[in-house]
Amino acid sequence: MLRKNGGRNQLRANLIFIAIGIVLFLVSNRVDELRVYQGATVAVYVVAISSIILLTGYSGQISLGHGALMAVGGYAAVLSRNDWHAPVWLSFVVAVLAAALFGAILGVAAGRLSGPYLAGTTLALAVGLPSLANQFSVLGGEQGLNYDVGQPPLSLGQDFTQYHWYFWIAGLAALVMTWLVHNVLGSRYGRNWRAARSNPTAAALAGIHIGRSKILAFTISAGIAGLAGALLAMTLSLVTPSAFPLALSFAIVTGAVLAGVTLLTGSIVGAVVLVAIPELTDALATHLGGSERVTANLPGLMMSALLIVSVLFFPNGPRLFRR
Amino acid sequence: MFGLRRTRRAVLASATLAAGALALTVLPAQAFNAHTEVGVSATQIKLGITIPLTGIAAPGYNKIPSAMNAYFNYVNDNGGVYGRKISLVVKDDAYLPTQAVNKTNELILKDKVFAVVGALGTANNIAVARSVNLGRRGIPSLFVNTGYSGFANTKAYPSTFALFPSYIMEAKIMGQYLKENFAGKKLGLIYQDDDFGSDALAGFKQAGVKFDVSVPYASGSQSAQTAQGWVGKLKSAGAEVVVMFGVTTASGAALATSAALGYKAQWILGSVGGDATTLKAVGVPPYVLTGAIGASFLPAPTDTSDEYISFFQGINAKYNGGVTFDNNVLVGMNTAMMTVEALRAAGSNPTRAKLISALETKGSSFASASLSPIGYAKGVHVGYTGYWFGQYNSAGELKPVGGAYSVYTTDSGTGAIVKSTYKRPALPTNGLPSN
Repeated sequence: MLRKNGGRNQLRANLIFIAIGIVLFLVSNRVDELRVYQGATVAVYVVAISSIILLTGYSGQISLGHGALMAVGGYAAVLSRNDWHAPVWLSFVVAVLAAALFGAILGVAAGRLSGPYLAGTTLALAVGLPSLANQFSVLGGEQGLNYDVGQPPLSLGQDFTQYHWYFWIAGLAALVMTWLVHNVLGSRYGRNWRAARSNPTAAALAGIHIGRSKILAFTISAGIAGLAGALLAMTLSLVTPSAFPLALSFAIVTGAVLAGVTLLTGSIVGAVVLVAIPELTDALATHLGGSERVTANLPGLMMSALLIVSVLFFPNGPRLFRR
Repeated sequence: MFGLRRTRRAVLASATLAAGALALTVLPAQAFNAHTEVGVSATQIKLGITIPLTGIAAPGYNKIPSAMNAYFNYVNDNGGVYGRKISLVVKDDAYLPTQAVNKTNELILKDKVFAVVGALGTANNIAVARSVNLGRRGIPSLFVNTGYSGFANTKAYPSTFALFPSYIMEAKIMGQYLKENFAGKKLGLIYQDDDFGSDALAGFKQAGVKFDVSVPYASGSQSAQTAQGWVGKLKSAGAEVVVMFGVTTASGAALATSAALGYKAQWILGSVGGDATTLKAVGVPPYVLTGAIGASFLPAPTDTSDEYISFFQGINAKYNGGVTFDNNVLVGMNTAMMTVEALRAAGSNPTRAKLISALETKGSSFASASLSPIGYAKGVHVGYTGYWFGQYNSAGELKPVGGAYSVYTTDSGTGAIVKSTYKRPALPTNGLPSN
């Protein structure tokens, strides 16, 4: 589809991104530390969900293993920082590149699989890959490796906490990444992916190399997931296999579905919901006076219920964002 | 067209976001009173704990928080600490470092606790100390439920107080016991492959004990299946005496599997994985445990002749629903009693800084059930320093070897192992500290 007024739209989109950035900046200085920390987590999820939106919503490939790709990014970032003393931004770049490389290799296999077979393969990866760290002492085992992004600069003031610092870094990274993804999806590649997803035969006739296009989507999506993994490691100050459980892979897919899997703007909604659910269930469990066992399992139950409800009633995302 | 509609959506999204942001900014700022400390109000002192309530390490450990609450409730019913009631916020970390970090962040940011008490796990406490940075923020982490020697390092963990004797001390004392009682036998060791286990290796090395076969296991990997591999290695090496230095679910798997495979050895259980009730609960037949050696720094939970034990058993009956009184319940109540003494020592207007300094200056004289002395001093956060050895009878009771508790103490360095002459303070009247 041709886009009318492309230049003006682009400018408007850019202005919107800048506006969001300014609003986030102002808000982060007004709310308490807990909200700021949750904000950082939301930013991590925004990045992770946009990688799913790119892959599933645009290229039509299903991955239940993005937690594993996040783990690759997380470990790459930490190792580059600890062993090569890379600056933080560079460790993020390393995370993106390492995960993208891994994704490219995986993408070659993924290009030959589709539907449930691809889902199964990636699922196996999510189950197996993070626990590899237990086999190699250089990866720190279950105890994990320390990831220190350093204290916030003193020029930001005494009251500027570590949590604010995490939020600034994660928020900025999320904004930049969302902007990049927004542009990629609007580009020739985004159109190719949509075409190949909707009708592979017609797309191939039109000169689109389906296999290559799928691998490219997988590679870029993996790179984004790698950044999300590095950001997650930052908010925890460490990487361990337990930071990338199967539940994480499911959560980001759920977030993407809640957001309407083809809408990038929805990633924020999905991310907020993912962070809000444990909070809500905690409040609910406290209110009900349930046992710890209930509290521990309630978020999973709510998340699954939400997923089912949204697939049943809002398969294309909430009405607010429906295309 | 598509682009225009998308822009409209984006505008809508950012408008929603901005509206949400505004809503957030008008939330009331946290009430802040310069005269009181975080987590301390006129009527309440709020404490927090992270501990596995679910997951692989949960059996046994999940009894600790309710045991602590039982004692706190008893104190609260008797006037609290300088009129303030103690409340304990319990968070499940599933024995995962990531969860421990998340939950501790919640305790600090959301529940705004005064201090963390009894947080469990070596890897978890290391992750929390690094990530949540309790030390730099001056948030006390009292009586961590781990014997990792590193937590006594006040440079790395300035606000953390170790309570259990370190695993290095335990391995040193156990090493001496091995040399005295099992010289010439083939020795085997199962240990957790993290800082918990590396402490043990350091201690055995210090004691000059060499194992014929060592089996490391990754935390969380213990199961009946993996235990078959451990037992296979021990069996093929012909180990006659096996030291088990792991969490209870690991020693349970090792004992049950070796029984099933018909492998017989003299088992020596470290203090962490040696709770008889929990072992029974995870499926170890009682006869397997009979004759095994165990180490402890507290009196045996079945020893009703001990005044602390009988007092705590009374609390357990009245405030804890009469659950089976085992080592976990004992540890929980003992930690709670130490906590009350620490809070009292911090005075009627406690601050985090006062709490830390009170523990350093007065902690070594606290009344506690332990048969070993307490090492706290200015800049020293070493808690208990000694162990005694016992043998499990057919009822699963740990009976002191030689009939009476003989406690040996040492340090985490090259210090000698000496027989302790420590006289434990008597139980405070009615079990209510008056320090």
